[in-house]
Amino acid sequence: MFPALEKYRQAFLVGLQSNLVYRWNFAIRGFFSLFHLAVVFILWGAAFEGAGNIGGFDLRQTLTYFITILALQFLVSAFNEDYQISEEIRNGLINQFLLKPINYFAYRFSIFVAARLVSGTLILIPLLFALPVIGDYLTFPAEPWRLAVGLPAVLLSALIQFCIAYCFGMLTFWFLEIQGFVILSLAIEAVLGGQIFPLDLMSPDLFAASMLLPYPYQMYFPAAIFTGRFGFEESLWCLGIQACWVGILLTVGHGLWLRGLRRHTAVGG
Amino acid sequence: MLHYFRIWLASARYSITRTMMFRGDFIVWSLVELFWMTVNLLLVSVIYRHTDNIAGWNQYEMMLLVGTSMLIQRFLMGFFWSSIFEMGRNVRTGNFDFFLAQPGNVMFMATTRKLDPDGLVNAVIAVGVIVYAAGKLDLQPSFLDVALYAAMVGCGLVIHYSVLVISISLVFWLTSAQGVEGTYFTLTEFSRLPREAFKGVVSQMLFVWLLPVVVVSNAPARVLIGRFGEDWRWIAGPFLFAALWFALAVFVFHRGIRRYSSASS
Repeated sequence: MFPALEKYRQAFLVGLQSNLVYRWNFAIRGFFSLFHLAVVFILWGAAFEGAGNIGGFDLRQTLTYFITILALQFLVSAFNEDYQISEEIRNGLINQFLLKPINYFAYRFSIFVAARLVSGTLILIPLLFALPVIGDYLTFPAEPWRLAVGLPAVLLSALIQFCIAYCFGMLTFWFLEIQGFVILSLAIEAVLGGQIFPLDLMSPDLFAASMLLPYPYQMYFPAAIFTGRFGFEESLWCLGIQACWVGILLTVGHGLWLRGLRRHTAVGG
Repeated sequence: MLHYFRIWLASARYSITRTMMFRGDFIVWSLVELFWMTVNLLLVSVIYRHTDNIAGWNQYEMMLLVGTSMLIQRFLMGFFWSSIFEMGRNVRTGNFDFFLAQPGNVMFMATTRKLDPDGLVNAVIAVGVIVYAAGKLDLQPSFLDVALYAAMVGCGLVIHYSVLVISISLVFWLTSAQGVEGTYFTLTEFSRLPREAFKGVVSQMLFVWLLPVVVVSNAPARVLIGRFGEDWRWIAGPFLFAALWFALAVFVFHRGIRRYSSASS
């Protein structure tokens, strides 16, 4: 139907195969995420003993938020795409893409989708395993609009995640080593992405300011929709901001690619 | 012993020289570590905006606990992290041969080769957090308390080192440890929790005693805060666990080496 997309379908399939090779790796990572969940349960359980509700939410709602964040991490997070892109630039492997009718961004994105399909499926195993324990704490609001707004938000989150990783990978055109930048960004993402605590627990000013950045739209925003931390109008407004950030990051990524190629030197036969 | 100390000293000298060659990298990595420490303190301050205590610990007691956990982790990052992290990749690529060919204990050579001054610089910040929290709590520890605290931090370092070596040694069986090294960081999250937060026998057995990451930070923090009471287990525990976990790390590492097949010809 779309012959031009066939090559990306092949890239997706290759990505699927190469990620399935490391299925045990993902599975172990998923299993150990349950330990992170245990830390969350213990810490917040102890915090809620001293206060009936925190930020207007009870213990079950707060824990549901963290479980949703965990699932989203495996479904949309960029794990090491920035590092892979960096390696391809540094080792000259991108030269092959410059000579072929293939878009490098689309190629990498196809592999990213394949990787997330594998990791997103594998996280279900430990979560199902833990269901007898965490099932009692799960409480999701029943409004259907949350699914209608939340699912596009998840897709845009994945795009933001990938675009940020892509932009960091592109920095290799200018810097030999990007790992420091990546981990610094990971720390910012962990906080402003809502992985450490729900962002609405910060002071209102800080929360409002953080929602103008791209980071909350990586994970916090869809999780907040699904777990009832956002209302309908607020969600639609933020979905608009999220779409704007996708546009900005796509433009920045493309700009970095074009500018970077001018600096790139392809060596060898 | 002196022979190994000389080897380590030579490696440390090389690492520091290398760091000074890439000063920009050093600054970025120092900022990275500083930022992660700030994240932990931020979590404490956000929770205490909404509650007065966590498992009976007030904000500054909790800050002292988190500071102690960070101090141990900074030492680990400074002295061992790079070497152990690279070990995972070296096993996959076959570069691990390099360590097998060296005239010394393989585990020592592979896990102590690189020193990260940025981790050690941030250890100073962690000490600052501990001193600040102790000041807010109006603590006046004796020389013996400080010495015991330092010894327990040392035990904590041995336990963390052992857990990390065991985690990365999985690469001998899995081929790729990509992401698996993150499991170590997941386990260390427990070390920032007060022991009283662990309710139920299963939770206490599993997280406090079986995986002694909780003891690692709680024991030294209790020495300073004076939460010891007469419970001798909090003194003996860290020393015992350090010995047991180190023995387990040596065992797993050497079992792993047996499975290693070089990638070169």
